[in-house]
Amino acid sequence: MPPSSRRPRQPGAPAIDKRSIVRYVGITLFILLLLSLPQFGTGADLIYKNLFLSTAIVALGLDVLIGRTGQLSLCQGALFGVGCFTAVQVGAAGAPWPVAFLAAVAFTALVSTIVGLPSLRIRGLQVAVATLAFQIFLISLSSTKPEIKGIGTEGITRPEYLESDQRYYYFGLVFLGLTVLLVHRIRSTRSGRMFVSVRDVEERSGSFGIASGPAKLLAYAFAGGIAGLGGALYALQIGTPNDVSPFNLQASLILVAITVIGGAMSSMGIIVAAFFFSAFASLSYIPTDKSTLVQVLFALLLVLNILVYPRGVGGSFTDLKDQLNKLVFGPAPRPSPRPETTDAVAAASNAMALRKTPRPLRERLPTSTLLVATDVTVQYGGVRALDHFTAEVRRGEIVGLIGANGAGKSTFFNAVSGLAPVTGSIVFRGQELVGAPPAIRSRLGLARTWQDMGLVRADTVRDNLLLAQAWMARYPAAPGLLGLFSALPDERLVRHRADLALELFGLSHLKDERLGDLPYGTMRTVEIAAAVSSGPDLLLLDEASAGLTPEEAHQLGDRFSALRDELGLTLVVIEHHVPLIAGVCDYCYCLESGALIAEGTPAEVTAQPRVVESFLGKGSIDRSTDHHVVVTDDLVDDAVEGSPVDDGLEVARA
Amino acid sequence: MFLEELIRGLSLGSAYALLAVAVVLVFTGTRTLSVAMGEIGAFSFYAANDWRLDGLPLVGWRYGVPTMLLVACLVGAAMGLLIERFIMRPLVARAPLDKLIATLAIALSLALLELNLFSFDPIQAPVPFAQGTFYDVFGAELTSAQLLAPPVLLVTVGSLYAFLTKTKFGLATRATTSDPDVARLLGVKVNRVYLFAWVVGGLLAVIAALLTAPATSLIPFNQTTLLLRSLAGAIIGGLDSLTGAVVGCLIVGVVSTLFQATPLSFAGADGSILLLVLVTLLVRPRGLFGSPRAAF
Repeated sequence: MPPSSRRPRQPGAPAIDKRSIVRYVGITLFILLLLSLPQFGTGADLIYKNLFLSTAIVALGLDVLIGRTGQLSLCQGALFGVGCFTAVQVGAAGAPWPVAFLAAVAFTALVSTIVGLPSLRIRGLQVAVATLAFQIFLISLSSTKPEIKGIGTEGITRPEYLESDQRYYYFGLVFLGLTVLLVHRIRSTRSGRMFVSVRDVEERSGSFGIASGPAKLLAYAFAGGIAGLGGALYALQIGTPNDVSPFNLQASLILVAITVIGGAMSSMGIIVAAFFFSAFASLSYIPTDKSTLVQVLFALLLVLNILVYPRGVGGSFTDLKDQLNKLVFGPAPRPSPRPETTDAVAAASNAMALRKTPRPLRERLPTSTLLVATDVTVQYGGVRALDHFTAEVRRGEIVGLIGANGAGKSTFFNAVSGLAPVTGSIVFRGQELVGAPPAIRSRLGLARTWQDMGLVRADTVRDNLLLAQAWMARYPAAPGLLGLFSALPDERLVRHRADLALELFGLSHLKDERLGDLPYGTMRTVEIAAAVSSGPDLLLLDEASAGLTPEEAHQLGDRFSALRDELGLTLVVIEHHVPLIAGVCDYCYCLESGALIAEGTPAEVTAQPRVVESFLGKGSIDRSTDHHVVVTDDLVDDAVEGSPVDDGLEVARA
Repeated sequence: MFLEELIRGLSLGSAYALLAVAVVLVFTGTRTLSVAMGEIGAFSFYAANDWRLDGLPLVGWRYGVPTMLLVACLVGAAMGLLIERFIMRPLVARAPLDKLIATLAIALSLALLELNLFSFDPIQAPVPFAQGTFYDVFGAELTSAQLLAPPVLLVTVGSLYAFLTKTKFGLATRATTSDPDVARLLGVKVNRVYLFAWVVGGLLAVIAALLTAPATSLIPFNQTTLLLRSLAGAIIGGLDSLTGAVVGCLIVGVVSTLFQATPLSFAGADGSILLLVLVTLLVRPRGLFGSPRAAF
């Protein structure tokens, strides 16, 4: 790396980036606008403005489900109703409003969790349809049993200090503000990271120690709880619900529309969209006969939005902010997208610090053998991807796994990760892994990378490192939101470790970059950094050299050695570059069509005619000169030029 | 008593099935789960009816009820065409959820437009099939629409099935269904298949609306609520199977009439349908007749 591309470290750099000023000014203006909203229009409009607050709250909750977790719910309108009815019932029983609010939040969260149960088994559109069925059912239930709605009771009554609609608006605004804070807060806790991993890399989230089922249910509960809050706010506004139109199918669809048009994960965009969809058409400056036309306009806008501008209102806010910043401060500096070279002394101390993990002693005790796989068989229908494979990995070794495409190398990794149907036994540190849920592995000290990158590309580099350490931040969701119990120290620990790992791999300057914006080679480095930050004993690297430039691939051997020597890791690496394996591995297994065909030191393995045949095809061996391989031109690619040629395997042009 | 309920259920299920076939056709043809079908049908129907009374826009031509049926069908097909060409085709490569939300937006726009554009007066309710008269079928009293639903279903689905299995274009459609890219390589004009799915889907949606909408007043999303039952049927039968859609909807029809009358149901028919859908999704996500790909 040329030294000119290195960014000099500035001592005493300002704590607040001047570029965020534009953002803060924007937010302040937005808050002022919300505060002054009751001043516009007539007093009669306040009813709709209050409805807008409830709608915005529900939509913000729904966005956690749709935008963060990738689960579509078409029954949020009904859940809004559940919250409303609960508050009315509890309020009618004489409870003060805070109790009614809490009850509404809790009960709606419960109902929402039930709504989310099918998502454990089905996914995508099917979940959407299941939630649609819940919507129809819940509304149908409330119309056949009017007592659910609290009809015939006094309902919930506003306390005196909230009698005026204007005061009620500010009361609601406080709850909207709280919801925004909550939704933002969840992003920087373990729960938020779990949601994103379920959305983007669901099958692989187990390797971060995340069980996707509970994560989904938690997202449903969270969205439901917030819908309950919105419902309770609405209940206190109206007393008793006289019709179910705010809760029907149309309302549910509009709520989805609001989150889509608002732009995923943009609170400001969603609040704006909520205002236009729920209140604007009813305000007094719109003539009554035109109000449905206005709504039609918004619905058409939604279509247009999906067609041409998928990022929604929030996206245009971001663009505006970037434009303003560019105008005021000039173009933003782009950090070099490559890892920086690191200071050796600092790296050594970082590595030492990273080796300390909060793992119980029993799981840290030194053992000579880390992983023992016995008779591991993986069968997919009629295909036996792995056939009675037996292998052993000793502590401190670098073990190579080679073989042609489809030999079963990644299948073995998937078997160890708990993602393949396995028979046989895989024991890690004395713990049987076969049959254990995938999520326990990272806690035991097992981490892995994926052939095609298993991280969340939409998140920043740092967030990905935090995600990889999910097992270490073990605090439950609710205290996490409030920063109680172990949440703060746990978070501090994982953030510290993320910073250490980033510095160790020379990625500190890229920590706030979106992972997907970085070059592929850097992404692969981030993936290794993430795996290392989770504090493993054993690291499984699946084709770490795939997609790298020859230069990068060449440095990989040094990286493997460094991972072992500096971080005390044991490695199992899948590689196609035989010279790389030969250079660094202590022991080597060669697979063909799921079966083990050779094992031993790299020299022994690559010397075996069967291995050479497996790689280069029959007839590629000139039998007269034993161990001497003749490679035809089109196969030369398999060998990296200038790499150390093993004594057993000579590569020569025919 | 039981036979009576069964007959009524089958008739009801036939009406659902027409809409379900529209959904399945669009789903298999374009991999889009469209929730707009109900509203496309309703909109066409109300438009045709409105013009019957007020005269065709610009032309001012008034027509009778039989012509209205034809006009409604034409409007439905035209809407299918426009929606496919201008909204869904640009979205063809997008994620399934994006496409679903686009159809949601279409449904929303149409429902609101119905409210805005069409005067609706229950007295002037369009009566293509005389409402007051009931026909006795094995003890079950059926309106003419209910009586017509099963034979109409038989004819439309039968001819659609024949078209898809016996003609060259049908073969192209099925090829596109199984893999659009390969179909394109083989020379199938994939866009035509998409267009076909939406146009015929729109047509079927109108027929379903003609058979069901007259009995109710104009409530936005009424047809979408109806669509849910069709969707339930389609899911039970398997989302990419015409047979499945028909069988599933007949099951839904029968179950909903049977349970409506019993004290077992705690929320009318919808509770039992919800249960049916959930059990299907959990036990056999692809549905009774669906291919493995139906479990999207």
